Amino acid sequence: MEVPTGFLVISLLLCFATTGYGVTFTSLQRTLVVTASPTEGQVLKAGDANITVTWGFNRTFPSGTDSDYRTVKVKLCYAPISQKDRSWRKTVDEMKKDKTCQHKIVARPYSASNNTFTSTILRDIPSGTYFVRAYAFNGNDEEVGFGQNTNGKLETNLFVIQAITGRHASLDIASICFSAFSVVALAGFFYMEKSKGKSSK
Amino acid sequence: MSGIEGSPGSSMHGVTGREPVMAFSVASPMVATDTTAKFDLPVDSEHKAKVFKLFSFANPHMRTFHLSWISFFATFVSTFAAAPLVPIIRDNLDLTKADIGNAGVASVSGSIFSRLVMGAVCDLLGPRYGCAFLIMLSAPTIFCMSFVADASGYIAVRFMIGFSLATFVSCQYWMSTMFNSKIIGLVNGTAAGWGNMGGGATQLLMPVLFEIIKKAGATPFTAWRIAFFIPGWLNVIMGIFVLTLGQDLPDGNLGALQKKGDVAKDKFGKVLWYAVTNYRTWIFVLLYGYSMGVELTIDNVIAEYFYDRFDLKLHLAGIIAATFGMANLLARPFGGWTSDYMANRWGMRGRLWNLWLLQTAGGVCCLFLGLVNSLPLAITFMILFSIGAQAACGATFGIIPFISRRSLGIISGMTGAGGNFGSGLTQLIFFATASFSTAKGLSYMGIMIIICTLPVSFVHFPQWGSMFLPASQDIVKGSEETYYVAEWTEEEKQKGMHQASLRFAENSRSERGGKVASAPTPPNATPNYV
Repeated sequence: MEVPTGFLVISLLLCFATTGYGVTFTSLQRTLVVTASPTEGQVLKAGDANITVTWGFNRTFPSGTDSDYRTVKVKLCYAPISQKDRSWRKTVDEMKKDKTCQHKIVARPYSASNNTFTSTILRDIPSGTYFVRAYAFNGNDEEVGFGQNTNGKLETNLFVIQAITGRHASLDIASICFSAFSVVALAGFFYMEKSKGKSSK
Repeated sequence: MSGIEGSPGSSMHGVTGREPVMAFSVASPMVATDTTAKFDLPVDSEHKAKVFKLFSFANPHMRTFHLSWISFFATFVSTFAAAPLVPIIRDNLDLTKADIGNAGVASVSGSIFSRLVMGAVCDLLGPRYGCAFLIMLSAPTIFCMSFVADASGYIAVRFMIGFSLATFVSCQYWMSTMFNSKIIGLVNGTAAGWGNMGGGATQLLMPVLFEIIKKAGATPFTAWRIAFFIPGWLNVIMGIFVLTLGQDLPDGNLGALQKKGDVAKDKFGKVLWYAVTNYRTWIFVLLYGYSMGVELTIDNVIAEYFYDRFDLKLHLAGIIAATFGMANLLARPFGGWTSDYMANRWGMRGRLWNLWLLQTAGGVCCLFLGLVNSLPLAITFMILFSIGAQAACGATFGIIPFISRRSLGIISGMTGAGGNFGSGLTQLIFFATASFSTAKGLSYMGIMIIICTLPVSFVHFPQWGSMFLPASQDIVKGSEETYYVAEWTEEEKQKGMHQASLRFAENSRSERGGKVASAPTPPNATPNYV
């Protein structure tokens, strides 16, 4: 299968042409103060335990820094240990490609102080070690600031979430019933044919 | 019931010189029709159909075709059902990249063993029982997915489900007993290709089922488990159909025919010996690992590749991944058809060149698939790769029926096993490690395909030639009868056990290509009517 060289050259050029400019994480300042209810190393059960997050503007920054903040999204983020050997959770500087924070807790319009939110940890959160991070977005839906409940090296205040197994007793029973049917039906047919063969001799 | 053999002088071989290009049917002058047989389709002296009537369900030939490919399709759906759901499963079971890669290896490794065993089972018990037993006993393993709680359970269950891929062997074997060798390339290619489509269909089916079950109220970590029940039911239903509607041979079931003394019972040891000592078997074992093997590997990794590399949604990644497997609808039969077409003009040498060309082209496209950064280009190369690899699979099984008549079952089984071994190996080397990305893995795999396809140039048939060498000019050494009867000892020939091979040799004369008319009968070949 020959691919015409002209086509190949043009397509390769197009490949390289699509380099995007996105907001990078390192360009963001830690202008929000974020705290979360779980204590260091606490184990929370998905679907069961509650998590409370609070966030607000960090007053040590000059006022007016938050003039273009419109919305805040608070997310559950994977700690480095939960990213190991799992490239689909990789931290990448370009925000569009970053996969560190995949689970949204809440999104709210921005207000400088007194922001709290409590909810149950959803049942589709996988097991792992987490921290909480909040991103502030401007009117163009670009990140312009962030805050997190852990330190810069992502070492403190990490907590563990234990996921649901997804298994159910009813599923297990249905599974056993259908399996048994399959084996019994097969054996039944086999013996029926063998005995018909014997009797027709 | 062996059919009345033509008396001397009645063979109309090559008399008209006008042979059909499209190998959907074999015209009467080329292969004599057995007019005493009462079947829906015209048949040859072995009662194999000479016509491939796609939309018929007539017993036994076309009905066998449909039962066969749909059962094989069902096992592909089950074996690769996990692949498009890996993004959900990896979160539920907390899997690492190595776990996912190892599960992929496990899913294709089980059938290395089961395909070898299935070859022997078909030779000894018949393809109908082989197929039915396998798919109905693997249904429980599919239902086991509801119990899986961690990586080791996941790997174990995928390993057990993978055993069911041995239906490939029963499918191909069954086709070879029902259809004449002139159209076997197309028939085998179509049956296997449509079965392989299951690997593509599942990439569409499972995400859709998952979404529906989620909408019905289940959480993701439960929904994917429920989704697995559908492939399980598919297996059970097909098993029942095969048992009630199928038969092993055109004239009846194997057990009944063996009792009547029409089909000689063969010894497993002998059958195995003639398979293993034929060097061509081993070359095709290697080759198939790099056509079918890489197809299975892609079925396991491509949805996740598109999901992660191009940031697509689960069902979109599934749709793209599905086009790879679904190309089998046309690509594999296309390979079988090109094989038959080349055979018409250039005989077996044409078939061998055809195989090399298709498989190498697939390798080149795989190399590029890993290199490109844009989604449209990636999809383009993936589709071209799928056509090359799948057509090569079809072309391979256009040649396999000619390697041996006596050990066809075991050779089919060994080749099929080679396919799975190649898949396990490529997944282990290229996709289970974090040292290089999936994209690099794809490119390296493309290079390995190109290299491992070169050995096809060593396959030589004395009566037909090879890619670079012509056929032997010696009348005895260069005859089909000599080649196929060489698998029987003098004692066995005394008992007449080689009759089927003789009939096959006669029917395979067409592999000389082009001018078949003046094929001289070797002096000491036993005439059929003795």
